[in-house]
Amino acid sequence: MRMAELNLIIAGVGGQGSIRASHIVGIAAIREGLRARVGETFGSAMRGGAVASHVRIGKGVFAPLIAKDGAEIVLALEPLEGLRNAVEFLAKGGLLLTNTRAWMPVDVNIGRAEYPSLEAIKGAVEKLGGEVVAIDATSLAQQAGNVRTMNVVMLGALAGSGKLPISVETLKEVVKENVPPKTIEANLRAFELGFKTIRKS
Amino acid sequence: MIGFADLIVEDAPGKRVLLMGNEAIARGAIEAGVSVAASYPGTPASEILETLALAAPKLGFHAEWSVNEKIAFEVAAGAAITGVRALTSMKNAGLNWVMDMFMTLVYGGVRGGFVIAVGDDPDAHYSSNEQDTRFAAFYGEIPCLEPANPQEAKEMTRYAFELSERLELPVFVRSVTRICHASGDVELGKIEKPERKPVFDRHWKLPWRWNVYGPPGPVEKHRWLHEQMPQMKKLVETLPWNKLELLGEPTFGIIASGIGASYAREAVKMLGLENKVAFLKLGTPTPLPEQLVGRMLKSVKSVLVVEEGEPLVELQVRGLAKDVNPDIKLLGKLTGSMPPVGEINTDIVAHALAKLVKRKLPADRPRELIKGEIKSLVAPRSSTLCAGCPHLGSYWALKLALRKVGGKVPIVNGDIGCYEQGGYGIAGKEYKPSSSSESVRYPIDAPYETLDTNYIMGGGVGLMQGQFQAGYKDGAIVGVAGDSTFFHACIPAVINAVYNKAKGLFLVMDNAWTAMTGHQPNPVTGITATGEETKLLCVEDVAKACGVEFIRTVDPFDLKATTAAIEEALKSDKFAIVVARHVCTLQAQRQKKFVGKRMIFDRDKCTGCKLCVSFGCPGIVFKEGKAGLDPILCNGCGMCAEVCPTGAIRVEG
Repeated sequence: MRMAELNLIIAGVGGQGSIRASHIVGIAAIREGLRARVGETFGSAMRGGAVASHVRIGKGVFAPLIAKDGAEIVLALEPLEGLRNAVEFLAKGGLLLTNTRAWMPVDVNIGRAEYPSLEAIKGAVEKLGGEVVAIDATSLAQQAGNVRTMNVVMLGALAGSGKLPISVETLKEVVKENVPPKTIEANLRAFELGFKTIRKS
Repeated sequence: MIGFADLIVEDAPGKRVLLMGNEAIARGAIEAGVSVAASYPGTPASEILETLALAAPKLGFHAEWSVNEKIAFEVAAGAAITGVRALTSMKNAGLNWVMDMFMTLVYGGVRGGFVIAVGDDPDAHYSSNEQDTRFAAFYGEIPCLEPANPQEAKEMTRYAFELSERLELPVFVRSVTRICHASGDVELGKIEKPERKPVFDRHWKLPWRWNVYGPPGPVEKHRWLHEQMPQMKKLVETLPWNKLELLGEPTFGIIASGIGASYAREAVKMLGLENKVAFLKLGTPTPLPEQLVGRMLKSVKSVLVVEEGEPLVELQVRGLAKDVNPDIKLLGKLTGSMPPVGEINTDIVAHALAKLVKRKLPADRPRELIKGEIKSLVAPRSSTLCAGCPHLGSYWALKLALRKVGGKVPIVNGDIGCYEQGGYGIAGKEYKPSSSSESVRYPIDAPYETLDTNYIMGGGVGLMQGQFQAGYKDGAIVGVAGDSTFFHACIPAVINAVYNKAKGLFLVMDNAWTAMTGHQPNPVTGITATGEETKLLCVEDVAKACGVEFIRTVDPFDLKATTAAIEEALKSDKFAIVVARHVCTLQAQRQKKFVGKRMIFDRDKCTGCKLCVSFGCPGIVFKEGKAGLDPILCNGCGMCAEVCPTGAIRVEG
């Protein structure tokens, strides 16, 4: 599917690599001659906070942030962060593509909040007219040989969804250029695992 | 394909690359042939100097992390006085540190181009306030360029050097979080080489140019500054970033500055009003292009002013409207059409615009109702310290020591750095205001509830002295700060405490890096911004030289020893400094210097007491009445094994 404008949110927890993933998509878009904007939202901490990158690809794109209900896809490296962003930004008919592995907030650990089940998250997004696809990207990353390649597993899944206006080859090439040299092999395996898993589902 | 460090110095005009706003500002300075760049890290502006530090060794200019913003400003200003091009960058609050030098430097200005790049932070994502730098430009009577996107950020920075040399004054480039930390495709330009020879001339074009007291003195130099304004005003009328679009005979107009213009364009698109509203896009909120604004005001019946920050443009437009078109209806922050605080976005502008043109935005009411229900599912995620962070150990020890010898209601004064999360609280918890007339002690559930006061860099060690001098006797008085903050802002306060005989505990958490802003080096790191080795300073040596008599050094991973040292300090009846030193865990892991221990969790031994949970490490989880270690987050620092009272969490061996 190729559209004139694509609005994508990559959400996760600080340290999971959502910003790196969003830059990879942005660079790949530019390489294919498209215009791109990537706006980042994160707290002041290096790790552990909610992070969301707004990726916008297309000609008539000015603002770095996606408007309410304006995202065709929310790619979530962590399920709760997927829900947080889907509620606010996912368009009717949009896709929440999420990792299944939770990163418990301290609020939940100390008993001040409850973590929603994956079923509850699916139910909620479907009620909003969205589609949910969940994969265990963390396990796939471990299978690829490095748990930190989880973000690239999700990029592979995103590519596999067929909803990106960017070729799979370009995306892979940019992944290669933007990960530490020693982890290129693991990242490419991670990409393939994500790609294949989504194709199967 | 080349790496970022090569790309940023690539002389490839016309090439399109993805750059973050901050990187684009740095590239603009590189293209302008900057010779000296100095900064102190501060989100959202840190990547400007980080990028310049990557380029500096390759292009042969100087880039440094200064000890604070004031010194960074002076380093850059000193360079500009010798005629070379210089840049200083900082976050919003950093500007407060430079105001003294800034307000005086403009009395006579500069010789080489001097650009002050400030990253403002509407919505206070990473800041203690939402201050608007554009007012400083107004106050200091110098121009302020405000980009709408990363491309403009680059172009404007490059041009700002030229403008600065033309006016012989510093020039602001004001960006906001959504420019600083937003990336976009940027077309590169040609790189000028910094080949100017620094020169010095005491009376260059003005007597005693660089000595504000030199005759004819400050008032005459203030007059000189005023005399630059007409030229400034004339120049901004024709800048490409100030553009008026008047098509047909529109009734409505938008005046939008900086990022506001990007949101306004989207809002126009959303409402299908392309070519139906007049649009004045501003790149210089001060001075305003008054002719262009005047033409807009004469052409329409009502105008929406869109800007991020305080209503600086709106106030000026109001003033102009009085002369040009007193009947015009002006909408903005002052009329309640735009929110007075926080940041703006496309939705906010679209709502205001819809009201202006009396149209309704499409709304899906049933879906909004469902959203309301779903929101209760979205658990908050409070920001935390990292798994294995040494500050966790320091805060745990502080909590135990205060419980033992801290008196009824100790006061813990915070400061700015990762450890300020000790005062972020827990988002999922409700805190009620109190109206007690006596001191009140509140329990600390997690380290994130430790800090009682927190404002600015170096603020805590000053506040604690005031509490002491006021005669506070209900509990211990404590200040905490990190290594970089100690050097940035605490040293005069330490001297003040010694000189004026204040007492209390000053806990310095030294993790060897300016960690919160992305691990920049500082005087305790041993390297410079460009990675060169340099003298390594030591907090204890400085404290000793300042006359502090009680100084202890501990490793916060050793909770027992740290608690004991803090207890001793609290009992000492002196101005006591405890340095809790352990390198930042993230940085140690990156440099492959972190040795994780093998942790064992024995579920049967766990009584579910939650003591480990209150330690606050994100690597500890709690499910179905029992604790546990997240195998992915836990890095084996071993601190929680010291916390666990039942031996359920242990270090192997």
